[in-house]
Amino acid sequence: MLEIKNLKVSVEGKEILKGLNLKVNKGEVHAIMGPNGAGKSTLASVIAGKEDYEVTGGSILFNGKDILELSPDERAKEGVFLAFQYPIEIPGVSTINFLKTAVNEIRAHKGMGPMEAKEFLAMLKEKQKLVQIDTNLTGRSVNEGFSGGEKKRNEIFQMAMLNPQLAVLDETDSGLDIDALRIVAEGVNKLRSKENAFLVITHYQRLLEYIIPDFVHVLYNGQIVKSGTRELALELESKGYDWIKKEFSEIPA
Amino acid sequence: MSVATIKRDTSAKWLEEFELTAGNRLGAANATVKEKQQKAITEFAEKGIPDKKVEDYKYTNIRLYLNDEFGMKGNATRLKSSDIRHLFLGGHATIVMINGRFVHELSSLKNLPREVVVKNLFTVLKETDTVAGIEFNGQFDEKASPLTLLNTALTQDGISITVPKGYDCKGPLHLLHISSGTDKVLYNPRNVVKVGEGASLTLIESYCSVDLDEKIFTNSVTEMVVEKDATLNNYILQEEDPKASQSNLHQVSVGTTGKFNSVIVSLNGAMVRNDLNVSINGENAEIHMHGLFVVKDGHHIDNHSLVEHNVPNCFSNELYKGVVGDGGTGVFNGKIFVKQDAQKTNAYQSNKNILLGDNSTINTKPQLEIYADDVKCSHGTTTGRLDEEALFYLQTRGLDQDLARKVLLGAFAKEISDTVKDEAFRNHLEKRIQVHIV
Repeated sequence: MLEIKNLKVSVEGKEILKGLNLKVNKGEVHAIMGPNGAGKSTLASVIAGKEDYEVTGGSILFNGKDILELSPDERAKEGVFLAFQYPIEIPGVSTINFLKTAVNEIRAHKGMGPMEAKEFLAMLKEKQKLVQIDTNLTGRSVNEGFSGGEKKRNEIFQMAMLNPQLAVLDETDSGLDIDALRIVAEGVNKLRSKENAFLVITHYQRLLEYIIPDFVHVLYNGQIVKSGTRELALELESKGYDWIKKEFSEIPA
Repeated sequence: MSVATIKRDTSAKWLEEFELTAGNRLGAANATVKEKQQKAITEFAEKGIPDKKVEDYKYTNIRLYLNDEFGMKGNATRLKSSDIRHLFLGGHATIVMINGRFVHELSSLKNLPREVVVKNLFTVLKETDTVAGIEFNGQFDEKASPLTLLNTALTQDGISITVPKGYDCKGPLHLLHISSGTDKVLYNPRNVVKVGEGASLTLIESYCSVDLDEKIFTNSVTEMVVEKDATLNNYILQEEDPKASQSNLHQVSVGTTGKFNSVIVSLNGAMVRNDLNVSINGENAEIHMHGLFVVKDGHHIDNHSLVEHNVPNCFSNELYKGVVGDGGTGVFNGKIFVKQDAQKTNAYQSNKNILLGDNSTINTKPQLEIYADDVKCSHGTTTGRLDEEALFYLQTRGLDQDLARKVLLGAFAKEISDTVKDEAFRNHLEKRIQVHIV
């Protein structure tokens, strides 16, 4: 479904990703771990299509299509979703109206007409339940005045509403207490299917106790330096990142 | 646009018109008014039409929009009811004003409560001299601007609306101002609105053009009196043709425990200059002033406001927002005066602008002058681009860039349109904002 080949990305002239390779198939959950500054959030932003990043080499294929040429909304319409590390507050934009617009834009891209109001409301109700998000939150402007945990839950709620093929969760666990973490993870688990895939970016192993990954990759210095299964995450948790840094500090820039 | 050709002071032109229009002016109805008009033209002669050297017109050169090619007589366009019906709102009582004159046969007054008195100002002044002494030019002193003086001197008519003491006018009154015609004309409509003690009124004013084929300049002055315990909601939408320019003064006096809520939304017109002057003359009065201007394509919108806290224990809050697109110029100049006696004043003012184009200009100047020592006051202004992070966020949810911009700008504007309490007008406003804002 997702195939990243030799991806090189710079920000303001500084190379952040230095030839990254990754393949994600339908039905899989991949975790990307790594120390601060390794390029994890850059990877998430580049997949979603943020403009500030300059792709200097490589490709990102999504269902065989090179999405680097596509705008962020076109990627979303193709089925890519990014759960933000720091979700934006947008005062004055009602969450429900905005989601209705988003759902219908994505439907239009697939050649479908706008969703019936009744059907939309039913879906809204169902997905709210799924991520245990209060209607008084979704009744407000997007993320306005939300706590950190509420914002993260709202990201998962939006993901549930938009039903993407590939969801990239950028440090969704950061700033969450254990209860919120569990709710978010349960939401993700309920949405897992044979047809979709998840890329879970995290600094800590903790989230992966709830969202069990099929593969774990270590991102360091702009490259994936190690891949393995869940055990790799546990090893990182007990040993920290220092041994990775030592082992791979020789990588030529 | 050629600037060089319009350097001349055009006041001589208007002195001449003053002589020519003697028989048509308001003064013909009333001796007191006649005197006031004579005095005004004398004062105007010293000042002339303001250019950018006059401090209050530093960013708005009126002489670019009003010169001596303009006359005072236009060919009356024969508008039919069917030409303007689409401009009516809901079932509101509608007073149609064409080029500043009340047109009874096109108006819809069946929903106008019997208690509310709507008449030509000319008729009112002819009937009684008290109005002439108090309400006509009752609020202006030596500070009257040159354009106000010109209006006082040259005005021929306008509308007078009176809500009697204690009457709560539930349904809004819609004042539909239409500019129309085939000649370059300066119009000087003069309106008087009085909300009596304990009474209330919602007055909607919309400005638009129908069959306007030539440049016009409307120099409008409206004097409003909100008496003790009275409430006036004044909602204004300006959406004239790009051939039309207007200078529009609302001079408001608010009495004890009076409430005045103003919303001014300016969306179109070659040049719009608004002056909203509120004089607070009774304690415990509450003033809310909201404004939105959307300007682009070489157009110019200037919002000047003045809040005078003359007495203690009053509240005023002002928020103006601007969206300046490519080639547009916006001006905001808000002044708050807190006089020495006006202790325990709460006065707040804010101006927020979004610049969209590379070639867009905003001049903003919030001003606060405080002569009392026990007050809570603040003012501030911000100007920026559309939030890139928010745009990206919306795009990652499947909204293309244009739609995402529209959603964000709509949200920016909504804070203003939401302050309109009348649903029919608020819905209309939101639709019109969506048309102009991208």
